[in-house]
Amino acid sequence: MVGLVVASHGRLAEELVSTAEQIVGKLPAVATCNIEPGTPVEDLRAKMKQAVSRVDTGDGVIILADLFGGTPCKESLMMCQRMNLEVLAGVNLPMLLKANSLRSEQMTLPEMANQLASYGQRNITCASALLREAQQQPRT
Amino acid sequence: MITLVRVDNRLIHGQVVEAWLPHLKVSRVVVADDEAASSPLIRAAMALAVQSAIEVQILPLSQVDFAALSKDGVRTLVLLRDVASVPFAYAHGLNLGELNLGNVHFGTGRRQVSPSVFLAEAELRTLQQLAEQGVRVEARAVPAEKPVELPDLSERWVKAG
Repeated sequence: MVGLVVASHGRLAEELVSTAEQIVGKLPAVATCNIEPGTPVEDLRAKMKQAVSRVDTGDGVIILADLFGGTPCKESLMMCQRMNLEVLAGVNLPMLLKANSLRSEQMTLPEMANQLASYGQRNITCASALLREAQQQPRT
Repeated sequence: MITLVRVDNRLIHGQVVEAWLPHLKVSRVVVADDEAASSPLIRAAMALAVQSAIEVQILPLSQVDFAALSKDGVRTLVLLRDVASVPFAYAHGLNLGELNLGNVHFGTGRRQVSPSVFLAEAELRTLQQLAEQGVRVEARAVPAEKPVELPDLSERWVKAG
């Protein structure tokens, strides 16, 4: 099973995982990693390595970082040179839920990472505009 | 065919869309609820949450033909808002050997029997009567969770008093 690490500033990573678990139940092979103000980069680097090795079962790991260019993302990118690792930035809840369910399907790690990036983007919608359209063409 | 009947006061929401629909592989969701059916806005908003490949029907409870849903070959999830609606469905053609309790939220006179289910005494009695007719009642918010069966729910209800 592909391992997942959610990496963020502050408590976002933990809260995202706990929110996802509220919706679909316990997520297997998922770890979190966070950087608090004042955390030395070396500590974060050690935490990231630990998180990755905790969820790596040999099928590779996808890191879902909160912000492109932020420290969790940058540190993940340093690691992906040496390991079977893909890094996504701009994590959102739909992406994390999809990451969990995609693991039961047959695909390469880079394919899975690419699919997740576009899925995350597709799931950012102007919901009120969609509702206005739906009211004009009712489905029910 | 009816694959699952679920009591959930939120009807169609995150747990249903993200966990139950993929798990059950249904092609139809039927919301049997007067309040939801009476509002075009609620109907549109709930249907919007379900991918377009899945048919969504949102109807007043009395207008749902449970017998027809049971007979055709379309895998169906039936959603009811509360335990009080369940006997009506069973009296009008629903014949399924199991009932899932998803979210039954807290209110005055209700006791907690699982993380997401709070039952009033009359509801517990209703469920016990269903069980006597051979229906397996379970509380389970999401498929991956361990189901809690009615004997345990009843025991917890008594203890919570």
